[in-house]
Amino acid sequence: MRSPRADEGRRAPAPTRVTGAQVTRTRGLGAARGGTFILPYLPFLIAFGILPVLYALDLAVTNDDGRWVGLRNVARAAGDYRFLPAFEHILLYTTVWLSSLIVLVVGLALLLHGRANRVSSTFRFLFYLPGALAGASSVLVWLFMLDPAVSPGSFLLHHVLGSDLFVESIAPGKLPFIFAMIAFWTGAGGWIVVMYGALNTIPHDLEEAARIDGAGAVTIALRLKLPLIRTWIAYMVILSFATGTQLFVEPQLVNQASLGLVPDTWSSNQLAFQLAFRYGDFNAAAAIAVGLLAIGLLAAVLVVTRTGLFRTED
Amino acid sequence: MMQRRVWPAVVVTALALAGCGGGGSTPAGGSSSAGGGSASAGSSAGGQGSGELTVWVDSVRLPVAKAYATAHPNAKVNIVTFDGDGNGATTLQTKIQLWNRTGNGWPDVIFSEQVNDPVWMAQKPFEFAAPVEGLIPQDLLSQWPAPSTAQCTINGTQYCVQDNLAQVVLWVNKKLMDSFGYTVPTTWQQWAALGQKVATEHPGYIVGNVGDSFGHWIYLWSGQCPLEQVKSGNNLLINSTDSHCTRMASLLDPLIKSGAVPPLSVFTPDFAKKYGGADDKVLLMPGPSWYAQALFDQTLHLPAGQITAAAPLQWENETPVTTGQVGGGPWIISKHSKNIKGAADFVIWATTVFNPEGAESRPGYPAYAPLATSWLAAQAKNPYFAADPTPALKAAAGQVWSGWNLVTYPDQPVWSNTVVTQLVAGKSLSSLLPSFGDALKQAAQAAGYAVAQS
Repeated sequence: MRSPRADEGRRAPAPTRVTGAQVTRTRGLGAARGGTFILPYLPFLIAFGILPVLYALDLAVTNDDGRWVGLRNVARAAGDYRFLPAFEHILLYTTVWLSSLIVLVVGLALLLHGRANRVSSTFRFLFYLPGALAGASSVLVWLFMLDPAVSPGSFLLHHVLGSDLFVESIAPGKLPFIFAMIAFWTGAGGWIVVMYGALNTIPHDLEEAARIDGAGAVTIALRLKLPLIRTWIAYMVILSFATGTQLFVEPQLVNQASLGLVPDTWSSNQLAFQLAFRYGDFNAAAAIAVGLLAIGLLAAVLVVTRTGLFRTED
Repeated sequence: MMQRRVWPAVVVTALALAGCGGGGSTPAGGSSSAGGGSASAGSSAGGQGSGELTVWVDSVRLPVAKAYATAHPNAKVNIVTFDGDGNGATTLQTKIQLWNRTGNGWPDVIFSEQVNDPVWMAQKPFEFAAPVEGLIPQDLLSQWPAPSTAQCTINGTQYCVQDNLAQVVLWVNKKLMDSFGYTVPTTWQQWAALGQKVATEHPGYIVGNVGDSFGHWIYLWSGQCPLEQVKSGNNLLINSTDSHCTRMASLLDPLIKSGAVPPLSVFTPDFAKKYGGADDKVLLMPGPSWYAQALFDQTLHLPAGQITAAAPLQWENETPVTTGQVGGGPWIISKHSKNIKGAADFVIWATTVFNPEGAESRPGYPAYAPLATSWLAAQAKNPYFAADPTPALKAAAGQVWSGWNLVTYPDQPVWSNTVVTQLVAGKSLSSLLPSFGDALKQAAQAAGYAVAQS
């Protein structure tokens, strides 16, 4: 229930840590000094990160009595009739959300960075506002936004989504897009601010030099700024990918608000929740959780190796 | 720095896992505290001593719980409101799994809107419900009607008492019917014919609706469609293409198309806006006994002096006339309760004593017969009704079709997901019956049933 929220809380400080780490490395300070920085975080990482993962791994390969069953839990979870639809939903949702997040966040940040300071700070604030609403409550606001009977944007719902009723707004085929839209507006503002911060780290001389060389605003944005904030984008993709595949709050709340029109096993994380707490099958639930972990890790490895996120240039 | 790369993903996943586990520490899923309870009542309930009582109720049953607390100042009642498992929610299954796993936290008494909840509560792996025999005196228990007792009896033992009976009747807007010059139908065929007439003569007016999560209980249960027939033990018959199902679907399809039976839920703002209010457009509506107060009066705000009840519709001249059921929520006592006497006292009071009159009157037809008698007497005089609804309500109470059994899984989400969403998209009910049957089969099999489809 809380994963995306908890994740949002961590979003902002994390890039600073990366910057801090890079700065530390470029200055050539020893690993020991870096260690003191991460030491306060370590107990939390172990208690809430490493241990639960180990517990999930253990559950995923054992049965109720704790006996080794290999991949049987995975097979059972994958054989569930809700398994494939849930992963299809998640795949579509993550694709839509992640691509819109990358294009729009980076695009908006670049646009803002080109503007005069006052204009850009106003817009940064405006973009950030929807995200200032914490996870679940923002979904509740969206529920009103999606109900043509009460929504201030009912003309948009009518013309863009073709819906005159709430049930039409949340028709099964539209759901991945609806959830992507909700997630985008609740998360994009924070990322725009982060990207803006990243853009600010680009030395002014570089921009100046490019301009003297005859580069226009578009060329500077695309050929100079964009490559320089590549690692921040990679960072956003990794975190967002993990958040996206673990979608829970949005479908869960819409399930309740729609009086059950949206299944309570819409996303894979919901299916894991239902398997664990409704059917008492913690092992199959852990198998799905481990699967999600593997998918997240795979994506992270791909992004890291492709973008050189942790490549040091010293 | 290898570790650093994987940390974000690891942490996010781990937090998700922790988040799932943590769901139990606060009443999640729309539940909140109310009355004397605190937000953490759900998790702290394990520590109750004698005289302390934790009661989980839906919002409709909140007045009962509050009234009990007021009437029993010495009993320390913690009231927690939750979604009541309405619309086939599985809140209680997830909660009880958690309490069972942690070994504490169980409330003493639960009210569920889901009439089938005691079926799984009485069995493994949940094993939450306490048998009521010995807790509630036999002379009281014998006053519940036999079909009601049967619905609470699992493998020969009674595990709950129903709060109310939820037999489906035909609700009639007498004022509109009179002004249009129509006569109240007595058969489904007359009802359908009238629906088509309304669609042409008075477009916008409706003779029913199918958009609720319990729509199949109104039409298919009444029509004797075998969607949940326990044959023996674990063997279940689900035949959505039985003629009893298809003929009802064929009857409904033209009405859905013409707008006389919209695929909308009565509990949506859309519905209230279109059909409710002072100029309401509800001409007829097959629906449960609790519709009068909870729906027509409090949700749609239909003015007084319009509504009354007529007997359930008959299929042509087939006898006996059967009807459906929407709800009939049970009270369940926890077998883990440390104050089981207090819990039983609460349930006895809520079902056999609590019966206020006027605006605070019980929303549903009391299941406990002596209370039903006095409740019906009060309803007969209730100025909200255009005519005495009680003969129809009373007759329908004994007509609920017994070929629809209670099972461990909720069927409402299946109906909502596979049928309602598609009806809204313009598909016909007839075309959806096969996929509805298949989806029910999957849900049943996941719950451990052996399913036969013919």
